[in-house]
Amino acid sequence: MDTAMLYALRDPLGIPAHPLIFLILGVATWALHIAAVHVLLGSSVLAIRGALSKDDHWRRLADAMVNTAKVAVSVAIVIGVAPLLFVQVIYDPFWYTSNVLSAWWVIGFIFILIVATLALFIFYALNHGLRTHKTRCPGSMILAVLLFLVVGFIMHALSVQMLEPDQWKEWYAPNGVIDASGRSIHAFDPWRFGFFIALSIPVIGIWLFGYRRYLQGRHEAGTGYLDFLKRMGTRLGAVGTLVALVLLVGWMRGLPEDIAGFATGIWPIAAAAALIVAAAFPVLLGRRLDRGLWGYTPILVATVAMIVIATMREAVRWVTLSGVHGYNPLDYKITMDWYSTGLFFLTFGVLGGAVVTYLLTVAWQAGQTEGTYTPSRAVNRIGTAGIVLLLLWIAQYFGFGLWTAYA
Amino acid sequence: MDLIGLFPTWYEPAIGSGWVIGLIATIHVLFSHTAVGAAILFAVLAWIGARDNRPELIDFIKKYGLFLLVFSYILGSITGPGIWYSTTVGSPRGISALIHNFVWKWATEWVFFVIEVIGVYMLVYLAGKLERRTYMKVAVIFGLTSYTTMLAIVGILSFMMMPGRPEQWFAEGGYLYGFYGPNTFAQLMIRTAFMFTMTAVVGGIVAAGLKDEVFKRWLLKRLAIVGGLSAIVGMSLYPWYLGTLPSIAHLVMENRLPDYFTPSILIVLGAMLAYFAMTFFRPKLVTATVAGFATLAILVLGLWPGETVRESVRKPYIAGQYLYSNQVIGHDVPGMGVKSEIPTLEKVGFTHAHVFWPDSQKEITRENTMEVGRNLAITACSNCHSLSDTGIRPLKNYFPKQADVEGIRTYLLGALATGNTMYMPQIPLQDDEAEALAVFIASLNDPEAAEAYLDGETTALLDTSSREEDQ
Repeated sequence: MDTAMLYALRDPLGIPAHPLIFLILGVATWALHIAAVHVLLGSSVLAIRGALSKDDHWRRLADAMVNTAKVAVSVAIVIGVAPLLFVQVIYDPFWYTSNVLSAWWVIGFIFILIVATLALFIFYALNHGLRTHKTRCPGSMILAVLLFLVVGFIMHALSVQMLEPDQWKEWYAPNGVIDASGRSIHAFDPWRFGFFIALSIPVIGIWLFGYRRYLQGRHEAGTGYLDFLKRMGTRLGAVGTLVALVLLVGWMRGLPEDIAGFATGIWPIAAAAALIVAAAFPVLLGRRLDRGLWGYTPILVATVAMIVIATMREAVRWVTLSGVHGYNPLDYKITMDWYSTGLFFLTFGVLGGAVVTYLLTVAWQAGQTEGTYTPSRAVNRIGTAGIVLLLLWIAQYFGFGLWTAYA
Repeated sequence: MDLIGLFPTWYEPAIGSGWVIGLIATIHVLFSHTAVGAAILFAVLAWIGARDNRPELIDFIKKYGLFLLVFSYILGSITGPGIWYSTTVGSPRGISALIHNFVWKWATEWVFFVIEVIGVYMLVYLAGKLERRTYMKVAVIFGLTSYTTMLAIVGILSFMMMPGRPEQWFAEGGYLYGFYGPNTFAQLMIRTAFMFTMTAVVGGIVAAGLKDEVFKRWLLKRLAIVGGLSAIVGMSLYPWYLGTLPSIAHLVMENRLPDYFTPSILIVLGAMLAYFAMTFFRPKLVTATVAGFATLAILVLGLWPGETVRESVRKPYIAGQYLYSNQVIGHDVPGMGVKSEIPTLEKVGFTHAHVFWPDSQKEITRENTMEVGRNLAITACSNCHSLSDTGIRPLKNYFPKQADVEGIRTYLLGALATGNTMYMPQIPLQDDEAEALAVFIASLNDPEAAEAYLDGETTALLDTSSREEDQ
């Protein structure tokens, strides 16, 4: 598959803004998505471990982690929509080809994810109050985790297949005979897959520090449980980082010959450093961990680390597609559309910013409050502003729409 | 180099990729429309609950919200991207056309999705925790946000049929002319109406389980009113919607829809009204099972035919009236700098223009004829026609059993390649490609006759000199 063929596969419509914007949005939203996936996997495994234990701390942790997993699966799915959108915009030749060549797996992804999510919710529904009640049907949660790994593997394979355009024609028409069945997975890299899955361990470890800080705000957890969480978080952070780094080295060592130099470049080192800093940060905070809002900062640092790791992942794609195959996503034809571009950023930054700030503030403060929660006047104003912005959005929709449709 | 950006084709012989897409899309419509309708219903109930201090309304929101969390926000949010996935593999250039036209609209809708998901969790898990006015405010945000998701998607669905303002979009391009048109608003109003119908039916599943009989009756009666009225309004808007469709869609409806379609839709509507009348007058008869069956009936007898028709009447196009269902760009779109790919196919054929065409089949020989014909059928036909006995519109059924290779070839070159078959795309074929495809099509009904043709002396194959001269 030569460069001209790759460019022929681009959509001739072009894109409505500079490709760099889509590249950045793709990386940033993927980082948030994979972080949510890590929390989902990590909390699910801790929930299973705790649900099978008789230890009071473990059972209490399991109770909390089931609730975390339940929310994390929704967050992972909804945030995952964004990178899925942006990859199609500038990497359409690669994404679409990879998907079609494994079509049955792509369709399977949907149904497997549905079954996995339902299995998780079944476990949640059957196990209210794990701390004091017997565990029911742990198999459903185990099934959920296994199926989440399967859908993760499918996404992984699609991402790897994207990077091998030299193989595409042979995969589609082995020995010149077209196989349009889409039943095969054609390429995968166990080291790379293992690395991204193993990141769940340090990420959930860091998450436990945030959970610990949240409990401190509610003044309802004893020091024994808080210490348990601290020990657990530290241990998971350290062990998980080590495991992830070993797998990262394995991935880098196995890179194809034509991009082997990437392994000793700046990006793998930056990713490893970011991961180590994120895992060590709660320890570095020392006593400050228990003061003010410092207890939440490990999550912020981990988010930055995930963005660095996501950038490294993007860099691998870049050196492969641009460096080896001559495809430059940044020279995509631009058919500039100011209205829809501006509307997105206003919706994202202003409307979304106001409404999400309001909702998360209310949710967090309500969780920290005993009895009925009443927001402050300032918080109320943000909520009112959010409603006004939503009404303005709807008004502009009909204003521009009716004018365009009937003028 | 004369290349056109055709991707590999996914061909599913048992039911066809079109039905896989349709199945997932139909299920998603049920989930998503119910979610939007329920969100607006929540906002109204929360408002009444806060105003009149009625905690039982908040309890209902909590119960229905939990059900909805799984039904719509888990299953709905998986099947939503699921449509992307299924269209990606079934019609990559179709979804690409929508993505590249409306990426910002989808990104905007994503912002609303995020708000929705936070909102539904808060409504379910903070009911009773938030003071009433705050709860109402969250419910109003949730309701408004949900409706904006419908506003965001409906113009994209409309573009699948045709650009909002076709003449302006073809000439000048741009998001606004692609998104907004009379069809957008007609479709929006119909979907809004039926969204409340679905909400009323699905809401019955939860309402039926309420313990408080007085409140249950109160609620079911209101759901019945909402459902019945919205069903009537939705149907009465149908003529408006039809009036916004392009003439080719009317042609397809007149000639292609089965006779039973209109009566069956009217029967479904009548049954729904009867169900709502029963809910209103005899709410005791509404159980979770009965409401569940009503939901299933809407899915199977209402949404599936409706989505099938929407899919059928836009043929031969898959998006924007410029992209054919077989993924070939059939018309210029000067406003977006898009060129028709028909001239390229007329010049060099699929075998030389298709990026993924096997090198060993670029020249058609007697030995590879059947395989080339099969590949052409997969590439140019299988998006709409199954190549087996089952699945969507089996290709073999469109040719008489006794049709010979020569007759089929004559049709392919005379009517199909020139674009003179109603609701079929123009499919330019080189002479040898037409013959290869004809051999394959003939083999579907009579494999032996096709083999005999290949073994005989009368084939017109192997004459590729005219194309070589063109090149």
